[in-house]
Amino acid sequence: MDNQRNVIIAIALSFLLLVGWTSAMDYFYPQPEQALVEDRADTPAEQAAITDGTSATTRHTRTGGLVDPVLQAQEKADLKTALASPDRIRIDAPRVAGSINLRGGMIDDIVLKDHMEGTGDDSEPVRLFSPNGTPAQQFAQFGYLINGARIADDVVWQADGRVLTQDTPVTLTHDLGNGTKATIRYSIDQDYMFTVEQSVANTGANPAVVQPYGYVNRTSRTASEDLWIAHSGPMGVFADAADYDIDYDDIDESGSITPSGRASWSGFTDIYWLAVLVPQDGSAPDTTFRALGNEIYRADMIYDAVTLPAGQALTTTSRLYAGAKESVVLDRYEDAGLQKFGLAIDWGWFRWFEKPFLWLLRNIYELVGNFGIAIMILTLIIRGAMFPIAQKGFASMAEMKAIQPKMKAIQEKHKDDKQKQQQEIMELYKREKVNPVSGCLPMLLQIPVFFALYKVLVLGIEMRHREFLWIKDLAAPDPANLANALSLVGIQVPQFLMIVFGIGVLAVLLGFTMWLTFKLNPSQLDPMQQQIFNIMPWILMFVMAPFAAGLLLYWVTSNVLTLAQQKYLYSKHPQLRASIEEEKAKKAAEAAKAG
Amino acid sequence: MKLPLIWIARLWQLGPSRILPATCRYQPSCSQYAIEALGKYGAIKGGWLATKRILRCHPWGGHGHDPVP
Repeated sequence: MDNQRNVIIAIALSFLLLVGWTSAMDYFYPQPEQALVEDRADTPAEQAAITDGTSATTRHTRTGGLVDPVLQAQEKADLKTALASPDRIRIDAPRVAGSINLRGGMIDDIVLKDHMEGTGDDSEPVRLFSPNGTPAQQFAQFGYLINGARIADDVVWQADGRVLTQDTPVTLTHDLGNGTKATIRYSIDQDYMFTVEQSVANTGANPAVVQPYGYVNRTSRTASEDLWIAHSGPMGVFADAADYDIDYDDIDESGSITPSGRASWSGFTDIYWLAVLVPQDGSAPDTTFRALGNEIYRADMIYDAVTLPAGQALTTTSRLYAGAKESVVLDRYEDAGLQKFGLAIDWGWFRWFEKPFLWLLRNIYELVGNFGIAIMILTLIIRGAMFPIAQKGFASMAEMKAIQPKMKAIQEKHKDDKQKQQQEIMELYKREKVNPVSGCLPMLLQIPVFFALYKVLVLGIEMRHREFLWIKDLAAPDPANLANALSLVGIQVPQFLMIVFGIGVLAVLLGFTMWLTFKLNPSQLDPMQQQIFNIMPWILMFVMAPFAAGLLLYWVTSNVLTLAQQKYLYSKHPQLRASIEEEKAKKAAEAAKAG
Repeated sequence: MKLPLIWIARLWQLGPSRILPATCRYQPSCSQYAIEALGKYGAIKGGWLATKRILRCHPWGGHGHDPVP
């Protein structure tokens, strides 16, 4: 049973490493946002923004969105005014709702029909785009520089329809009055992809220099936390490689960043959401990330300038993805030719190992209809695959017991020569055809399995807002914790005490089941190791408490299955159980004597 | 390239391996084998030898004395 214990410890250690690494990174590379904003506060408006506290250190949550209740209220009020304007074309696609703002011809109002902000019945769809100037602003615009001049943002475009649906595209038109006429034809597919066909016609007598562009503008206030294991922020695929290394504060530092190589797509990502531009096939516009100050950023693509002779027209077809990072949907676009679009989810180099788990989890979920049960079944499958190893381990332990007397004899014979003793024991194993221990491979194998599962559960939008028993959202920490219980009687636990009060039912179950598995193990360790085994479950209880409930559910299930497996294998080898208990009693007696 | 790999094996010995109960089926241990193989044959061949060693260190693999060739 050594193997079982090793596995758990190895997993625990990898977890400590995960957690330790994140906090170490936060410590050594703290977010310099505040300092940078202060450096740049040279206009009165910016200074005002700092003094009223809107742009000082913004807290980011794991899933993103506005955190400050003042800003949340302001967002609500601003939206109401902005969306009441008559100059809007409604968007009503299968999975996307919102509107196009005719003033500026931009898309600045998008909500996702299939994803809710919260878990309550009165919860509203997730808002991805919010008009310019609102606290959660994010929007996209496609336009032209004509003879070096941008079409003004306050121009009200003419539309040929009232609603943009999957079947009815909408064309916006603006006559610039100097002989050029610009049109933007918006269409949307069954998921989250807009196709934007911009064209400009030169009906005048003189040639015109036209330069099409598109951009996504957003605030970093709503950004989800940038984890070392999952990037949130500016990203794209440049020169055939996904770039996860650009952070908002990197752009702050240099003002603008232009990744080298052709952009296949470029924009911003949160852990679950994505807003990116896709340039026209075969073209390579300049793609740049810019810091506009006050926590506002822009990802733009500017096509080459073209001199358009009189009587001719230029059409450019770009795309805009504004939606959820559903692995299946992203991969479908990738299969349709959008380069590396599946990498919008930061799987990391280990994705070839992670994706099968995601696939399995998704399919089990579709079968059983409850994500918590799906996680438990997946655990059962993984443990089932590992069962032969545990069985083999037990068998060799039983064989070991059989040759115990011979081993004792060798140990007695070569008491003073450890080297010789080792050699003789190895000889004995060989003679008796006993495989002493299970080796390191089974243990090493479980580390990637656990890591893959961890990443799938952290990154997969599939687990977001999935219910299980009392848990409303398996992707969030267990709600049945002390802090929430105290808040029921009106006591608010401060953030820094959450390490203690964040402990929930699942975390306690985790500690308890792990303690039980250790207890069932033979105690053939030295006292230091024994101590570690006694403390480990309770430390892990605290360490794991803030993690997604789904992950804890996996671990608790895994522990319970380990217990069942131990019970079963002990029943198959009853002599083992007896000898282990005997040994334990002996040790306890010795300890009592010594004490 | 060789040294960082040796350091990984060394860190394993100093860290997790100390706490974990002995699981070695072979003499020398996998980590010791890796350090010796890397030192003798360099990162690529040594690394390959160490990988092969870990891959046979399971309940159905061999055991006993198995030094770096």
